Amino acid sequence: MSRIVAIAWKDLRSTMRNVPALAMMLLAPLALAALLGFAFGGGQSFSISATKVAVANADTGAAGAAGAAENAGAVVAGVLKSPDLKDIVTVSEKPSAAAARRSVDDGKTAVAIVIPADFSSAIFGTSSTAQKTAVEVYENPTQEIGGAITESIVGQALLGFNGARAAAVAASGLATANGEGDRAGKRAQQAAAKYVQGGGAAAAVSVTQRAPRLPGGESTKDVGVTGTILAGMMIFFMFFGANNVARTILDEDRAGTLPRLFTTPTPRHTILGGKYSSVFVTVTVQAVILLVAGRLIFSIDWGRLDAVAALTLVAAAVASGLALLVISLVRTPAQAGAIGAGVYLVLALVGGNFTGTAAAGGTYANIQKLTPNGWLLQGWDAVMRGGGLADIVLNLLVPLGFAVAFFAVAVLRFRKRYA
Amino acid sequence: MKRVWILASKDFLETRRDRLALLFTVVMPLAFTAFFGLMFGGGSDRLPLAIFSADSGAPATQLVSALAKSGVVKTETMTKDDAEKAVDDDKVAAALEIPAGFSADLAAGRPAQLTLVSTAGSSGAQTVQTEVTALAGELAAGERASQAAAAVAGVPPGSDPAAGEQALKDAALLMARPLAAQSLAHPVATVRVIEAGTAAGQIPTGFVLSSPGMLVNFILFSLLTAGIALIQERRNFTLRRLMTTRVRRWELIAGKAVGMFVLTFVQQIILIGAGQLLFGVDYLRDPAALLLMMVALSLVASTLGLLLAAVLTSEQAMVATTVIVSMSVAALSGAWFPLEITGSAFQFVGHLLPTSWILEGLRGIIVRGWNVPDVLPAFGVALVWSAALFAIAVWRFRLSD
Amino acid sequence: MNIVEVQDLRKQYDPPKGVLAVDGVSFDIAQGEIFSLLGPNGAGKSTTISMLSCLLHPSSGDAFVDGHSVVTASQAVKEAIGVVPQDIALYPDMSARENLLFWGKMYGLAGAELHTRVDEVLELITLVDRQKDRVEKFSGGMKRRVNIGVALLHKPRVLYLDEPTVGIDPQSRRAILDGILALRDQGMTILYTTHYMAEAQELSDRIGIVDHGRMIAVGTNDELVKIVGEEAHVDLRVDHYLEGMVERWAEVHGVTKAMIDEDHAVLLVQDANEVLPRLFETAAAAGSRITEVNVTEPNLEMVFLHLTGRALRE
Repeated sequence: MSRIVAIAWKDLRSTMRNVPALAMMLLAPLALAALLGFAFGGGQSFSISATKVAVANADTGAAGAAGAAENAGAVVAGVLKSPDLKDIVTVSEKPSAAAARRSVDDGKTAVAIVIPADFSSAIFGTSSTAQKTAVEVYENPTQEIGGAITESIVGQALLGFNGARAAAVAASGLATANGEGDRAGKRAQQAAAKYVQGGGAAAAVSVTQRAPRLPGGESTKDVGVTGTILAGMMIFFMFFGANNVARTILDEDRAGTLPRLFTTPTPRHTILGGKYSSVFVTVTVQAVILLVAGRLIFSIDWGRLDAVAALTLVAAAVASGLALLVISLVRTPAQAGAIGAGVYLVLALVGGNFTGTAAAGGTYANIQKLTPNGWLLQGWDAVMRGGGLADIVLNLLVPLGFAVAFFAVAVLRFRKRYA
Repeated sequence: MKRVWILASKDFLETRRDRLALLFTVVMPLAFTAFFGLMFGGGSDRLPLAIFSADSGAPATQLVSALAKSGVVKTETMTKDDAEKAVDDDKVAAALEIPAGFSADLAAGRPAQLTLVSTAGSSGAQTVQTEVTALAGELAAGERASQAAAAVAGVPPGSDPAAGEQALKDAALLMARPLAAQSLAHPVATVRVIEAGTAAGQIPTGFVLSSPGMLVNFILFSLLTAGIALIQERRNFTLRRLMTTRVRRWELIAGKAVGMFVLTFVQQIILIGAGQLLFGVDYLRDPAALLLMMVALSLVASTLGLLLAAVLTSEQAMVATTVIVSMSVAALSGAWFPLEITGSAFQFVGHLLPTSWILEGLRGIIVRGWNVPDVLPAFGVALVWSAALFAIAVWRFRLSD
Repeated sequence: MNIVEVQDLRKQYDPPKGVLAVDGVSFDIAQGEIFSLLGPNGAGKSTTISMLSCLLHPSSGDAFVDGHSVVTASQAVKEAIGVVPQDIALYPDMSARENLLFWGKMYGLAGAELHTRVDEVLELITLVDRQKDRVEKFSGGMKRRVNIGVALLHKPRVLYLDEPTVGIDPQSRRAILDGILALRDQGMTILYTTHYMAEAQELSDRIGIVDHGRMIAVGTNDELVKIVGEEAHVDLRVDHYLEGMVERWAEVHGVTKAMIDEDHAVLLVQDANEVLPRLFETAAAAGSRITEVNVTEPNLEMVFLHLTGRALRE
């Protein structure tokens, strides 16, 4: 046992003297978490910069409800330019539809809104089989979010008009039903006016957001973006940290120190066991350092200590098992570096190490579960939001199962190689 | 110049010999692309939404059924406790709380409340909120329209004078609602969405947009293999020995760069081919523009790899630095998430990098109908960066430890 | 008494068609003697030592170290042997002391005993004042000393040294050879592989010559040399009249054989010191001048050449 400790301690000390390895294990995850946190404004949630919108209003206007000339298109443009939305959209007016669309094609704006010439006449048209009109939202397909936001705003604005028309239509219908057919038009105008005065749909319903309240009265915490990112980075770089130490099995084989170890009275299984322990101990220390650093530097509250400890140990087991498996399958240290990196990158991309909390319940969340790190990340998320051991049972057991399987295959292969 | 080719082909030969590593450089990204393409190729799926309602009025029921028919969310009704827990456990993207007074408020013309329960940072919640607001808005619009119509309606003939004002109003409302709903169901003004560069109505799937990002990611990562080989060669002293021949220093370095260029270019061909043939990502829409972008990407990748190998001394340092650099560059270039959701400082730095220009170029080709003139700026930026990286590499190249 | 007994060891890599690296090697080493395995590169020396260190399983045959079989009692064998591999097998980023402490633990030493022993070994290899420096900073010779020191920590009964002086400077080589002799004087039994004839001759009590996996001769230096007889080679060049001189020298007492090899004469003589003056007289009498003389006493290289038809140093 003490010999296993001696081997593990030797490797750990060696890692501590190895600057590139330390950079990869400690500096990289912290730096990347900082970078990505900075990407998202360093705040509690994702904040987007305002979408640039070009507006071309070709509306020629029409006689409105009160008889005076009105320009519905200008109203729509006005909605976009309203001060409430200044953090969400930045509007520039263009003289023509072509100019507006061009600004999207040239990349100067993300979205162009083209209001046709017949907009007002369609809106204020009195016939019940009135002509239809459409506001064109011309989007840059690579800016999905800006596009969606703009569509939503324009949709709301149009709802105002459609709602007023619905009021008019209903009032007209009512008048006809009441035998006031001659006053149908007037009723319609009054209803429309009343609808608009009342604030329409916007004033009718409001949707507010809050965090979930659990039955026990405990409310869940809001998790900062940085915490989620650092958890993902930590696990990803633990893979590399484990790889570095596991790789020394190959390095030592080549350098002669491993065969020399085999000539000592220490049994082979003790020697190999020492190597396996080295890997586990090193990544555990790595994780602890990162967790503490996350707390100190980014003020991340990782959650309940027992759950955090369990997640950490299981993550270390997964990283060690995986790295040993990779090493047991390759032949040269160069392959260990290249193939290991490939495997870890793919696992991280599939498991969501780089993308934070996936849309819950969606396909991606299920795909994450194909990887041990995906389960771990979902566990970290739950614990950061206040969960305890009971909440993450599966998130601990499934990755542990992976780890055991990886380890078993690795041990068999090493036994065969160093028989 | 001929010597450059000889050197490059020697490297290529050596790389081909390490079959296993080569396999991984090619197979991994391919498998990953296939995997993701299959998962996401079919368009985005509906976000799960839990609904708990304390209101049994008609508007509430209408709202629930409207949501059930939505193509954006997939609804499930449950109890309040279950819903809160489902949100907390990440089983649903959000939960909608319809309070007891909802229908009454709407009917009375008072502002009605809806609450969306979600965890902060959940991207699905934003989308759900937009959809709920839209559908609830339509519902409210119908109700308000009906109320407005009822308010201005006259007294129907033959109605009982003893009936109160309220009863009259209720009767009017009852008649107005279907009329208003009918009008709203066929609105006069609609939104027509056109994605620039495609025919109206064609919306690219998430996978199509993410494919170029993945490409850039993997190419950057593959610098690892090439760089490690170079460092090993330095260790073997064969590099120094080459310098004792008549090979000039810049020829030696250029030979290395050519090797890395070819390697990354072949990788690109494979990945782009797979994307095009298997998943319908239309890279080949404009082959000339595509070629420009591929050349640009390989130029940047190979000169970057060269610089790293020139300056770093050990394989471990190479692995560490490549991982950090390639990940940072990928993130800053918009390969992982669209730059539009990041802060302005981040975007500023990102737009300095050649890879973000190349990514934009590739996406432009695929979905925005870009042609050669549109991608020329990106190509130019890549050329400038590559030249600079190459120059620094030549200057700092260590031929021996 | 024989502390090492090797009985018909064989090793074939990848049977049935693989290389037969060791093809029936047998020898004994008595306690306290230095035994060398001498042979060219590829003769099977390292494979033999690997089998004797329990690193490789013999395909057939057995060997006994201090009475323990390498096949069935490898643990006991390992406790009795110290192995110094051909390449430096140390941890470069650790200091000399740290290396010794670690390896000592692997040999089962612990606590105060370990530290004392490490101090002793450091004295032995004269690296006490550099003990805290990282091995990677040592010269080749210093590294070799630590390499040997590691094998001595647990006071083995037999020390294996696999080509310990390859590629190092003459001073370090001298120091190592002296060190080995000193160890032998203290009672250590030593198995030593090399392809340098001079070392084998100087150090060894007995020598085993190996080639292509087989032991082709074994014995003391004198016994082996006798295989080629006791005749020395004498190479002579003359300024003229070569054939004539060869004929006359063939008649000189003490010359067994005289031949012409292109432009010089090759003589086999019984005792070079006795015969040389007569050769000079004979030449002078014939009016010829000897311009060059080379005397080669019988040595192991000649033995190897005689036995295999090839040179020891290919």
